[in-house]
Amino acid sequence: MSHHWISLTLNGETIEAEVPANRLLSDFLRDQLALTGTKRGCETGVCGACSILIDGEVSKSCLSLAVQAHGKTITTVEGLAQGQALHVLQAAFMEHGGLQCGYCTPGFLIAAADLLSRNTSPDDAEIRKALSGNICRCTGYQGIVDAVRAAAENLNGT
Amino acid sequence: METSAIGQARPQINAREKVLGRARYAGDLKLAGMLHARLLRAPHAHARIVSVDTSAARALAGVRAVATGADVPDRRWGVGHKQQHVLARGVVRFVGEEVAAVVAETPEIAEEALDLIRVEYEELAPLLDPALSLDPGVPQVHEGGNLSEEINIDRGDVDAAFAGADLIHEETYTTHSQYPGYMEPMATLAEVDGAGRLNVWTSTQSVFLARQRLAEALDRPISSIRVIQPTVGGGFGGKIIEERSSVIAAFLATLVDRPVRLGLSRLDDILSGCFSVPATIRLKMGMTRDGTIVAKEVDILADCGAYAGLAGEVMTVTAMRSDNMQRIRNIRTRARLVYTHTMPRGAFRGFGGAQMSFALNSHMATMAEMLGLDVIELHRKNAIGPGETSVHDWKIGSCELPACLDQVSEAIGWGEKRSRAKAGGVLRRGVGMAAAMHVSGNRTIGNWDGSTILLKVNEDGRAVVHTGESDMGQGAFTMLAQICAETLGIPVAHVTVAAPDTDNSPYCIGTLASRVTINGGMAMVKAAEEARATILAAAAAKLGCDAEDLALVDGVIRSADGAHTAPLAEICRYHIYRHGGEGIYVKGSHDPQTVRFDGDFRGNIAPAYSFAAQAVEVEVDTETGQVRLVETYLSDDCGVAINPLAVHGQSNGAAVQALGWTLYEELHFEGGRVINGNLADYTMATADAVPMMHSMIVEGYEPNGPLGAKGASETAILPGAAAIANAVYDAIGVRITDLPITPEKILAGLAELEEASLA
Ligand code: FES
Ligand code: FES
Repeated sequence: MSHHWISLTLNGETIEAEVPANRLLSDFLRDQLALTGTKRGCETGVCGACSILIDGEVSKSCLSLAVQAHGKTITTVEGLAQGQALHVLQAAFMEHGGLQCGYCTPGFLIAAADLLSRNTSPDDAEIRKALSGNICRCTGYQGIVDAVRAAAENLNGT
Repeated sequence: METSAIGQARPQINAREKVLGRARYAGDLKLAGMLHARLLRAPHAHARIVSVDTSAARALAGVRAVATGADVPDRRWGVGHKQQHVLARGVVRFVGEEVAAVVAETPEIAEEALDLIRVEYEELAPLLDPALSLDPGVPQVHEGGNLSEEINIDRGDVDAAFAGADLIHEETYTTHSQYPGYMEPMATLAEVDGAGRLNVWTSTQSVFLARQRLAEALDRPISSIRVIQPTVGGGFGGKIIEERSSVIAAFLATLVDRPVRLGLSRLDDILSGCFSVPATIRLKMGMTRDGTIVAKEVDILADCGAYAGLAGEVMTVTAMRSDNMQRIRNIRTRARLVYTHTMPRGAFRGFGGAQMSFALNSHMATMAEMLGLDVIELHRKNAIGPGETSVHDWKIGSCELPACLDQVSEAIGWGEKRSRAKAGGVLRRGVGMAAAMHVSGNRTIGNWDGSTILLKVNEDGRAVVHTGESDMGQGAFTMLAQICAETLGIPVAHVTVAAPDTDNSPYCIGTLASRVTINGGMAMVKAAEEARATILAAAAAKLGCDAEDLALVDGVIRSADGAHTAPLAEICRYHIYRHGGEGIYVKGSHDPQTVRFDGDFRGNIAPAYSFAAQAVEVEVDTETGQVRLVETYLSDDCGVAINPLAVHGQSNGAAVQALGWTLYEELHFEGGRVINGNLADYTMATADAVPMMHSMIVEGYEPNGPLGAKGASETAILPGAAAIANAVYDAIGVRITDLPITPEKILAGLAELEEASLA
């Protein structure tokens, strides 16, 4: 198996790493960099647990290879908070019951962050549509939708 | 100052680590030198293992161990029926059964080694259809026949009661298997440490049941095993004691002197996961003209797949739990559990209740129409009430079922929507409802349904709760922290709940049977009361006053007249630093005053019972057969809601899970092989497929529960399927009696109606 050197910006820091050509990006993050906030739920691009932001857009990290991340800017769930200060979505998920077991949560936070970067005041239907690439088995989605709506309102000062 | 630690919506105490992505699940854990395991599964539903050649796999560089059924302990493990080896031995009984395992330096090497294992099978005829299982001459799944269990219950005089009934209706309902679908596939990390102890971190609903099972399956002393619960990514019943991968992982760790991690892929998890028990239910019911249920006859055929696991207990619930919801006296029930050469089925949220709830509530709606009564009135008329004793001797404490019925009917606008004129057209709407009950606790697990809490109050006045009850995402730790804070008199933020660990936690049964809030919560109340008494006695000694005059509120000790006051931390330090002092470490235990079933399935098995009702509106597309859930209102009677945010979350999640079972999720087999074992083809609802979920709480007060609470969550999954089926009937006049409700069945039903109208 050939190996490649890649360099990328990860959660605000420039990193370099050597990766086997066939390593999945999700495995690279989790197993090589110990960023285990990115989850494995299906590894077939369906559940969204592995979602990350690549150059600001939501992407399922189980569907790409680590080498493809070369030169990109990546944000994982670990990169959402600023030090001790939670991202507005993280705080809203806590407050509005956006999580229970928490396994799907990193993926939903990332998908929601992507939505709010494109649409600052989504209605419920837009929220549901934007989150339709993620599966949560615990919440029935209501708490998640409530949380995203509240986060948007918070950002808009409404 | 905090007003109250309970009754207000509050985030889970571990929510912060979860949103930060820092909660650690079993598959996130890593130990130095960790190896990776992978499993080889049987491709046949029924076959004899003629030979297994592992030499090429063993020879592969980086492979540390290869195991087959020949290597595992002779002792068989199981719940009641001891039927399974750690890896299949001699015979495979379902497609996906674990035949061999590899431990290697990397997951990739382990995968590669699986391909090098040569297994020679002699294929045998499989038994795939449970309906044929008891026929003569069919393949036998186990020696001793295909009947795993049979129960018969006879109450009152059924024949006489039917003879006196004004209306008798009989129907057969079929329910299918549902995947728990927790988002975290099973994962386990295990090692044998330098002292020879087996340490296991696994995604489990019960560390103590897990340890007991490992001791049995691995044939080693209980105390040589330590099970630790990391954060659990959902369980829904599937992670109690039936999944097999944690057992295999722990066994593999005993073969090598390094830690082994086995994280299942989704496909693996589906193949080895524990789906719910599918049941065919023939239900015959007699009523008088006013809607009083006078007699009921039930015949159930349930399929446990290849191994019995908890399926017998599940079937018992299907057979008799819902009888206790109504004032019925004449019942005859036969239920049979049979084996097939398919994946083992067992515990799933609701524990068999959903199957019968579908049948019973469909039946109630049908009979209400036949009698010209409103189905809600029919439920109300027959509903058991507080203080009553049911036909199986269950003693009903709090019961707010009528209030649940009121709440959902009002919220959805029941009367108005039921009486609106039926519009024709392509899209047709209808409303339906259902009601259900569930236990809070269950003594049938063993002659104990207790719980113990060890509570430590540190020298800074903050508390650490030790429990063996598990949080699988449902919020048990938050509930315990709230009760602790409320009872002791400190802020919730000052309570930490330690992860269950068989070495450090008190013995507990774990998370099943909606027992943790009621029983763990009661133990928590007792422990916190004990700690408070200890603290106030110490404070009285230090402050020179009577303990009775002192109160501990929000971390401060104060006398009623305000003359004496001390911060809790000062008293906690004083409790240690004095002659004969010690840290504050108290215990609270609670075992409810319940009984096990007698030989005839009678007896009050639970300290309390929870109730729920749900009303839904659906829209049926008569051209495509698609059913869309338009509105849903679910009302839960959980006593005092310790944390409404958690109760609503549980109800909403349960309602969507029920919706999935009813409309979207269906396991497809071909020759015993699951052909949709992935999340793209086994479709769990996503956010865009469900409407706004309305969850409501009827607050009662449960005298046997902690601060008035009883269990929530499982009850909420029970009414959904029937509510939807009833709404579909209301919309288009098609009665679906076999789940799931698919577009094909809708269209077939419509065609049949059309034919009948032409005839
Ligand atoms: S793990 Fe990537 S989408 Fe499920
Ligand atoms: S919170 Fe458990 S899967 Fe979403």
